[in-house]
Amino acid sequence: MTEATTMTTLDSADRIIVLDGTTLPDRNLIGGKAWSIARMTGLGLRVPPAFVIPIEECIRYHENGRTIDDGLWDDVMTGVRTIEESTGRRLGDPHNPLLVSVRSGAAISMPGMMDTVLNLGITDEVEHGLAHLTGDAQYARDTHSRFCHQFGDIVLKADLDPYVAGPTADEVRAIVSEDVGQTIPDDPYAQLRAAISAVFDSWESSRARSYRRHWGISEVGGTAVTVQAMVFGNLGDHSGTGVLFTRNPLSGAAAPYGEWLPGGQGDDVVGGTHAVQDLSTLASSMPDVHSELINWATILENEHLEVQDVEFTVESGRLYLLQTRTAKRSPDAAVRIAADLVDEGFIDPATALQRVTPEQVASVLLPTLADETVAALSPAASGEPACPGVAVGIGVVDPDEAERRAHAGESIVLVRPTTSPNDVHGMIASVAVVTDLGGSTSHAAVVTRALGRPSVVGVGDGVAESLEGKVLTVDGGAGRVYVGELPLQATKIEDHAGLARLSAWAQEHCPISVLTTGEATDLDTSGIGLDAETGRVDAPALTQALSGSDQPIRGSVLNTADGVVALLESGVTAVVADPALPLQLRIIQAFAKNT
Amino acid sequence: MTTVDFLALHGLAVRKAAGPAAVADLLGLPEADIAAALDAAVAGGMAAGAKGTFMVAPTGQAWLAEQYPVLYADAREDGALNAAYERFEKVNTELLTLFTDWQTMPAGGQRVSNDHSDADYDRAIIDRLGDLHERAERVVGRCAEAQPRLTRYLERLELAYDKVLAGEIDYVSGVRIDSYHTVWFELHEDLLRMLGRTRQE
Repeated sequence: MTEATTMTTLDSADRIIVLDGTTLPDRNLIGGKAWSIARMTGLGLRVPPAFVIPIEECIRYHENGRTIDDGLWDDVMTGVRTIEESTGRRLGDPHNPLLVSVRSGAAISMPGMMDTVLNLGITDEVEHGLAHLTGDAQYARDTHSRFCHQFGDIVLKADLDPYVAGPTADEVRAIVSEDVGQTIPDDPYAQLRAAISAVFDSWESSRARSYRRHWGISEVGGTAVTVQAMVFGNLGDHSGTGVLFTRNPLSGAAAPYGEWLPGGQGDDVVGGTHAVQDLSTLASSMPDVHSELINWATILENEHLEVQDVEFTVESGRLYLLQTRTAKRSPDAAVRIAADLVDEGFIDPATALQRVTPEQVASVLLPTLADETVAALSPAASGEPACPGVAVGIGVVDPDEAERRAHAGESIVLVRPTTSPNDVHGMIASVAVVTDLGGSTSHAAVVTRALGRPSVVGVGDGVAESLEGKVLTVDGGAGRVYVGELPLQATKIEDHAGLARLSAWAQEHCPISVLTTGEATDLDTSGIGLDAETGRVDAPALTQALSGSDQPIRGSVLNTADGVVALLESGVTAVVADPALPLQLRIIQAFAKNT
Repeated sequence: MTTVDFLALHGLAVRKAAGPAAVADLLGLPEADIAAALDAAVAGGMAAGAKGTFMVAPTGQAWLAEQYPVLYADAREDGALNAAYERFEKVNTELLTLFTDWQTMPAGGQRVSNDHSDADYDRAIIDRLGDLHERAERVVGRCAEAQPRLTRYLERLELAYDKVLAGEIDYVSGVRIDSYHTVWFELHEDLLRMLGRTRQE
């Protein structure tokens, strides 16, 4: 194909949109993923070249009896050509191969949409080319078999175990063929066509349909398909991949924080399989790239007015942003960042009050063991931290006994070899749980996290039971158990810079007055508003009980979303809770949602 | 002792403490039959009960332990069922990882408690649960070929997942409700008792 004909086709390709930053199409037409790429390119940031097949094409596909018509396919080819021109690589060319990712993107995200297929375009021939290009035959083989596994799993819906490195592409192909009776194409264009169809088909998956039914989302619609070039973090010395947080997600400190893996590719950083370095290594090896990265990250934070978690890859000294999203953070960081963003003039206090959850505040306020307290002590048991928090109680092995003694008013730590559904009543009754066996995914870990009980698992055979009858202090965050009742230190709102500021703003914005002390009707003792059978909030009964009362109230039912909604509807003007801030936030957030 | 008497006590053992309605729901049997069987079990010292909630008494546990190898002798020798159980264990491992991912989330190299403020993060896990549910359907379906009453678990898993899709996210791993995790663990316990195996974790 000559240059001239390429240009002609480009002009006529009106059924796809090239995401080069020249336009920012409506999110409802191209889906969130493509919109995010267009937004980044629109800000002048470099992302791997991409095009999107808009949502209306999905509708047309289903109207045509699940067929990609020739007109659309021609335009998809044009889209591929534009990516080839930008990257200088060609789909299926073993000497200089282009690999692409294929993603779904509906206007409203919903379960059931097809997952991303990476490294599409790899074939037996391309694998050899890739080995030559990267100088890493192992990587090329692994990429190929990983692609076959992903394509088999996602596009062909084979029942496969999770991917493990080892089997060759041919072996994976054979397993897939045996399970579904279809083969994984060794032709890039056939792969692309099948992947696009699979994205469109996923709009009609049973999961997506029942989600739409539950949420009243129209069946008239579809999902867009984003096709984007893969970039290589393993292309020579000046390449690598990493993650940057615009602020520290653990402490909240207003300084970029991140991880960098020279020569790393794709999920290497996220997957936690490689030893990563911090960003200062990038700053010293490629200072220009590093400062460009910091600049771009700042642009993204200023644009989103929120801390960003930015994934990036450097290919032969060229920086590409792969994705940006709101960063997840520890409770401490959430508090500090919300307050800092107000101080820095990015957001107003009302917005900050929406950014911190009551649970995060409660978590910051959890009592802890002072370092000085435990410095000289050796723990009676240590294992994997399964659920954070500190609690003190007497070790009991038998869950029935734990339940009985807890009901009689004792503070119990359940100490068991392992836990099963038969022990859940004992876990509910206890203040903490310690088990001999199991890791962070064991039954004990899963259940204690659901209950919010501090727990330590995997302390070793017979160790937990040996603690029976002793007074124990369990530090679920550190994974340690001490004999004896250790002094706990509690964080006070007024002593915590971030919490103190949030608290002052909450005082101003909360529509109901929350006092920390005073006379109040206690809902817990009267049992008002709780369904006796399930222990769940009976919102209508609660609203009715509270209506017309001018007496302040208190009670654990207010720690639930339903309880607070009922409170707002009842017209009660004052409540008592200590600490006040978590409840204030719950009220403020429920109020904002309902008005 | 009839089959219903045995099943009622077995179902009660799996649920630990429950009323006839919950045991009947687990077994997919009429509530009236289970209520009668549980009353008989209490009369015979096999179970204890107060205010409509029953528990298996030590005598009942010992009796069950004697009955399992006899009543499930065929199941324990059934190659297809045991093979299906091996696959069940694999799905189990992945589900446990998923529950952990649901309850915690990564923040800068550590995991912090999932406060469910990130809808995308939650949605991706709900989607993964859907994928695992599809695998569970196959593997439980295979188990149910040998033990048809196990299809009841599939219905309950389906119900839990449907509630999750409808936004009742407690139904992923909530403890006091028939969440996906609760039902899955009861199914696991049921299979372990039938096949005479012990829990891996």
